[in-house]
Amino acid sequence: MRTRIKMDKSESSNIVECQKLTLVFGTHEILSNASCSIPRNSLTFLVGENGAGKTSLVRSILGLIPLTTGNIFIHSFEGRQPIMGYVPQSVEFPRQFQMTVSEYLNYSASVRKDSVESVLQKVDFPGSHMNSRITELSGGEVQKLLLAAELHRRPDILFLDEPLSNVDDSSEKHIIDVILEIKNSGVSIVIITHDWQTVSQYADHVICLNKNFLCETTESCICRNSLSKVEIRNIQKATPDPNTRHEGYCYIENV
Amino acid sequence: METFELFTLAFMQRAILGALLLSILLGLFGIFIVPRRLGFMADGISHASLLGIAFGLLIGVYPLIFAMLLAGIFGILLARVKDYGRLTQDGLVGIFLAGGMSGAIIMMSFVPGYKPELFSYLFGDILSIRWIEILGLALYSVIVLMLFQRQWRSLIITTVHSDLSHVIGLPATATRYFLFIGTSLTLIAGVKLLGIILVSALLIIPVLSANQIGHSFRSTLVFTQIIGVSASFFGIILSYIFDIPTGPSIALLLVITFSIISLTYILKKGARDS
Repeated sequence: MRTRIKMDKSESSNIVECQKLTLVFGTHEILSNASCSIPRNSLTFLVGENGAGKTSLVRSILGLIPLTTGNIFIHSFEGRQPIMGYVPQSVEFPRQFQMTVSEYLNYSASVRKDSVESVLQKVDFPGSHMNSRITELSGGEVQKLLLAAELHRRPDILFLDEPLSNVDDSSEKHIIDVILEIKNSGVSIVIITHDWQTVSQYADHVICLNKNFLCETTESCICRNSLSKVEIRNIQKATPDPNTRHEGYCYIENV
Repeated sequence: METFELFTLAFMQRAILGALLLSILLGLFGIFIVPRRLGFMADGISHASLLGIAFGLLIGVYPLIFAMLLAGIFGILLARVKDYGRLTQDGLVGIFLAGGMSGAIIMMSFVPGYKPELFSYLFGDILSIRWIEILGLALYSVIVLMLFQRQWRSLIITTVHSDLSHVIGLPATATRYFLFIGTSLTLIAGVKLLGIILVSALLIIPVLSANQIGHSFRSTLVFTQIIGVSASFFGIILSYIFDIPTGPSIALLLVITFSIISLTYILKKGARDS
């Protein structure tokens, strides 16, 4: 079967649908026959243990890595191809390339010079650093800068890979508020995270990626390569249960 | 008075014009090649292209045509390597270098007698550049500058955050091909100026120097151009005044500039830290 990403003109309730994805790097199988969907205008969390393939799945949807088999359907947004946004967990800017924060925003998101400060303010990035070199920023500042640029591009689907991992507590709440605000304005957001507390507080939809299988949640469920699309909003505890866990299972307890 | 007279000499006018065009182009390519840690590529490509020069000399046809053809092929292969994971770009450059140089030396052994032209390509001979070559270089420069203008944003984003270039739909692959092929061809165009041995100096050293004093992309770009153009201009003047080889004069000026900037940077940093 040929693998491809297809742009679909239909206005499905899901903005992205992945069907039977298999992803192999060398001899290592990252995803095996996995399927999932991302509902429109939702805050979807992509969870799973290290090495489960969360980042690879997102990068496949974005077309950054080729699939081995399977199909990804990207449905249209208001009659046009949706604009994608992506904030990776970290970016290592080349040290031999001098670029300021302000220049980065200008080239990556066409931010005008007089708007730089307000764009940075949105993600709690100190305006005094707008002329700092991007190679001198901390991990948290880089994440905020990448997020600021992506927010300014106004994507229809925004993928965030552990967006709070390097951010301090005071900025965390601020960034979550910004994410909720843009979600309420109609953007579909997918967040990769290990922070179950955040998932339980804010998730509209959870995709659990456990080993080689994708599963989504039903109420108080054990999902085995299952693809039900039940919206969940209040997960109080959600952990892989060490007693019942084995390959292909994802255990989510919904209290 | 003598110094000003040299500007009235046709061969000096050609040399200065050629050197300025080449230093501008190599500075532009260098600012995107150096952050990718591909400085070695410049040396490898120029050295490997000696095979094309040797072939041209052997059959008695303008050698830079074959060198450019070969460099273009090397550029395409280097751009493609990224698509085929296991072979690295610097590894491939090493193979080009070994193959090209060995082939060239063997080929030259078939050309009987003393080979003065070969030395002009090895060490450069900008003063012998002809108007037709300047015209060709000017046309090439216009095309390359137009391509730079088209690819500018993509070149910057693919250098700084390559994933983003794919996500926002920039032509990342076309940009990569432009960068590798353009750098390879421009290096060969610079062989007349600095020679195969030293041409990479004009690609790398202005950027490395400017990186130490530039605080933004724009200022680094401006410093790169000032350093490259000045070294080429004054290198030619000094070589005329002191009757020394032109290519090495330019390369040595670049090294001296880099050393002064580095020393100043280190002293300033030391003073600031203490």
